[in-house]
Amino acid sequence: MITFSNVSLIYPNSTQTVIEDLSFTVAEGEFVLVMGPTGVGKSSLLRLINGLVPHHTGGILAGDIRVNGISTQSVKPGGLAHIVGIVGQNPLNGFVTDVVEEELAFGMETLNLPPDTMRKRVEEVLDLLSLAHLRNRSIATLSGGEQQRVAIGSALVMHPKVLVLDEPTSALDPIAAEEVLSILQRLVHDLSLTVIIAEHKLERVIQFADRVIYIRGDGTTEIGTPQEILKTSAIAPPIVQLAHALNLPEIALTVREMRRMTEPLRDSLALIPTPNQTPAEPGEEVVKVIGVSVAYGSKLALRDVSLTIGRREIVAVMGRNGAGKSSFLRAIVGVLEIDRGTISLLGRDPHDLRGRERTALTGFIPQEPSDILYGQSVSGECSQADRDNHISPGETFALLQKLVPEISAGTHPRDLSEGQRLALALSVVLSAQPQLLVLDEPTRGLDYSAKNSLISILRKMAEEENRAVVLATHDVELVAQLATRVIFIADGEIIADGPTVDVLLSSPAFAPQVAKVMSPSPWLTVKDVVGAIWTPA
Amino acid sequence: MHRLLHPLAWWIWAGSLAIGVAMTNSALIAGTVVGAAAIVVRRKAEKAPWAATFPWALKIGLWVIAIRVIAGVLIGVPIPGRTLFTLPILPLPSWMAGIRIGGAVTLERVSATAHDGVMLAAIIALLGAAASLSSPHRLLRSLPIMVYEFGVAVVIATSVLPQLVASVRRIRDAQRLRGQETRGFLSWRRIALPLLEDSLSRSLDLAAAMDARGYGYSRKRSRYRPNSWSAIEYAICAASVAALIKPQYLVTVAAILPLFLAPAPKVVMST
Repeated sequence: MITFSNVSLIYPNSTQTVIEDLSFTVAEGEFVLVMGPTGVGKSSLLRLINGLVPHHTGGILAGDIRVNGISTQSVKPGGLAHIVGIVGQNPLNGFVTDVVEEELAFGMETLNLPPDTMRKRVEEVLDLLSLAHLRNRSIATLSGGEQQRVAIGSALVMHPKVLVLDEPTSALDPIAAEEVLSILQRLVHDLSLTVIIAEHKLERVIQFADRVIYIRGDGTTEIGTPQEILKTSAIAPPIVQLAHALNLPEIALTVREMRRMTEPLRDSLALIPTPNQTPAEPGEEVVKVIGVSVAYGSKLALRDVSLTIGRREIVAVMGRNGAGKSSFLRAIVGVLEIDRGTISLLGRDPHDLRGRERTALTGFIPQEPSDILYGQSVSGECSQADRDNHISPGETFALLQKLVPEISAGTHPRDLSEGQRLALALSVVLSAQPQLLVLDEPTRGLDYSAKNSLISILRKMAEEENRAVVLATHDVELVAQLATRVIFIADGEIIADGPTVDVLLSSPAFAPQVAKVMSPSPWLTVKDVVGAIWTPA
Repeated sequence: MHRLLHPLAWWIWAGSLAIGVAMTNSALIAGTVVGAAAIVVRRKAEKAPWAATFPWALKIGLWVIAIRVIAGVLIGVPIPGRTLFTLPILPLPSWMAGIRIGGAVTLERVSATAHDGVMLAAIIALLGAAASLSSPHRLLRSLPIMVYEFGVAVVIATSVLPQLVASVRRIRDAQRLRGQETRGFLSWRRIALPLLEDSLSRSLDLAAAMDARGYGYSRKRSRYRPNSWSAIEYAICAASVAALIKPQYLVTVAAILPLFLAPAPKVVMST
């Protein structure tokens, strides 16, 4: 179905090839996962398939790519629209109209299909993706999972043979992600659709993949079955890391297989009393929230929320897309008007804080870290932060270099990788030494190694520097490794609040992979398990 | 999908009413027609962003009346009649004879200018009613194929606009949290740069998505669910145009007609 023969790609104004001498063939009905660290060219590879690269982006392509027998060199992306459907990372940016049904029809209209064919196909896709009840809805009012389904639907109405998805679940909560992935799985099996998908959260998708294209940090590639690749690859989901840590001869990709393989081990471990996992007592109270409600129009975003957060706590706020996580974060840092209740930050009302006073109390990293950056270079950004916070010149940059040593001072913030940009925003915010750090979905688009360095920074902030950290996230594995406490928000209300172990283990959908494998032992991460085995109580 | 009245029918209806009101030149009829149109808007408009156009048009109409009356009282040719009060006359150079600022304000002068204002406001309100009742996207879709491509561009632009507003708000909040005050002229650069970058990458994404979906690849373009023109549309248009023969009697009837003929708006699910 797809053939890459000796493909190399180089972008204009660049001396380094993004992809070098890549050859592979994907058969019809295969589910192929593209994995690799951030910034190695996964998106470029995906966009090569329908010719968006280089037709839309520029660049020089050597070698030949054939999709269904058509060379992408010879036709424009539009000419492949009926063969390749592509779904981007942020579906909202790719929507052309504002109503679900019209969005589905848009591609077919451009292909000049007769109206009765369009009607039939729209109905088909509405049923296939369970979107029928949303047909007249404005797309902007849909949840993240629903939007992603609409984006997949608007590709499927063209009856493509290949569906290409670039991190389709990165913005979704675990349940919505599951929903999207199981739909893809069904399409592969029922319609023999070929699916090519790039994803960082391997734990979500690896069980569906037939084959993996692994692009290493140095640009070399490896292609094989998931077992072959993951046995040796540097990046691996927690379930594989666990197998490595336990020195198992084989690796498993699903919880079921892994439970079978670890059965004798778990039996012996069950004898060991469970480790005492109660986290250290939180320190002095930093955030105090009493009876807070927030409404947008007639819709309640937060309903009578009360809690306190102390120093040394790392609090993860979890919940479905649109449950009120962002509203909660924005309320405690004081950008959201609250309708009822009080919030105090070390005795101050966050809404009244201005300038230097504010930055000394709270630091906020928004979902798009670039929102708070406006400098023309990394060094400009850092010196602005030095001036704002009245600290000696160079201090912010020194902080940044501790986080990402290889960063160059002259780069424009836009040209940084996802992880570097987050590090820059983080050091700008941290240079003011805030007592409370708030992060909104910090791991979108981060690979495992960037995530690990984020974890160690935040840990250090909380444990050694006595600060409080609050983060909203969908990333269960991050929460398992990082948080001391989890708050679960549903429909604007706190429905669970407690130590990470208790909250995560109480809901199967939000339990991390290791916990599912080791159940009923209450271990969340590979480190927990290894610690329990080597130092038996 | 629920059948809706063809958007062009709404515009023909509203246009004929506006002409009819102007022909009768009677504030009473203008008031009745706008009242009837208000009932039609209330009962037949969809729950959509553009439905707010009618209240806005009414507000603009009130301003028009107010400005017209104030200007009419202050400036203008004297009309004889019962004097309400007298303003001091501003002396003007001799070459501006015929224009007077201030002077005696007669009842006739106030009522004449108020009447003009009401007529103008009624016409604005009627056009606002048409805008409220018809989706701009559906109107664009019924445009002839020649301007259609332009129409699609407008549809895309109108879908992007709300996102732009949302981006501005998001960036302002984020900068406030960085301790930067975002009011005042000097802060524009701090907002403009991220905003520009944001909208640029967004438009690139959109362009890539449209490219990938075959936009502009085929010369011809078919239409999903073309707007149809049925007996109801003909009846409403014919009635409102026919009302222009004897507007003083018929225009109010034409105004209220869609209340009985037009299909009810589709039920919009709450979000």
